[in-house]
Amino acid sequence: MNLFAGTIQQLEQGLQYSSIKQKVIANNVANVDTPGYKSKGVSFQKMLQSEIQMSSNAIHKTDPRHFDLSVSGQSVSVSKRPYSVRENGNGVDMDKEMADLATNQIYYNSLIERISGKFGSLNSVIKGGPQ
Amino acid sequence: MSMFNAMNTTASALTAQRLRMDVISSNMANVDTTRATFENGEWQPYKRKSVVLKPEGEQFSSFLNIAMNRKGNAGEGVTVSRIIEDNETPGELLYDPEHPDANAEGYVELPNVDPLREMVDLMSATRSYEANVTVFNANKSMMMQALQIGRS
Repeated sequence: MNLFAGTIQQLEQGLQYSSIKQKVIANNVANVDTPGYKSKGVSFQKMLQSEIQMSSNAIHKTDPRHFDLSVSGQSVSVSKRPYSVRENGNGVDMDKEMADLATNQIYYNSLIERISGKFGSLNSVIKGGPQ
Repeated sequence: MSMFNAMNTTASALTAQRLRMDVISSNMANVDTTRATFENGEWQPYKRKSVVLKPEGEQFSSFLNIAMNRKGNAGEGVTVSRIIEDNETPGELLYDPEHPDANAEGYVELPNVDPLREMVDLMSATRSYEANVTVFNANKSMMMQALQIGRS
């Protein structure tokens, strides 16, 4: 029996995505006054695909005709959004960056919460229930 | 070490915005300075200065690394590439024959600093600084949360 059952790895992938996202937001906000700078984003789709692929080996199928969730996964990619909202060619939308920041923070904290919960239950199993 | 890089990114922006504020302060302080530089035997008024910002980590080597590793580049913040003087905009001419720097017709050239414009720039720099402080605090709290992993 696999003790960790892949959950922790998946949460770790999520944390990795979230910290890269944080870095990208920090960079976008840092360059809010740089002429010609274009806002960057992290594509979650590709991240999600790689996560699905990780879990596809263990996915539970009730019928052999069910589709596999095997999608070709890629690592996290940072993409540029080539539009600009201001006269000097700068494409950073501050409202969007701040909203993204809040979302990312909550997402990160929830992942931390879950990973702690996982360790907590493992701990509980090891100790054999509440003392 | 991705998270610490995010802090460096924000720190570079704080430095750059702080420098912008310093340059604006210098412009405002010299709003009446008529003797900034001595050129060709006469005094020249102060010229308005402004900073040129440039994204860090957008050099050729970064792009080559991206192409080779097929990985994204989050960027490394912002840097002040140089401070430029505004020699294009003419300064206001004030009629004051008593002034020691007045020309033959009695006009004194004042610095080309517009206090209104400087105030607008200052507001912009302050807001950007505050936004970066917000990002820094968010980042810090995320790192503190990460330290809580495994503490029940």
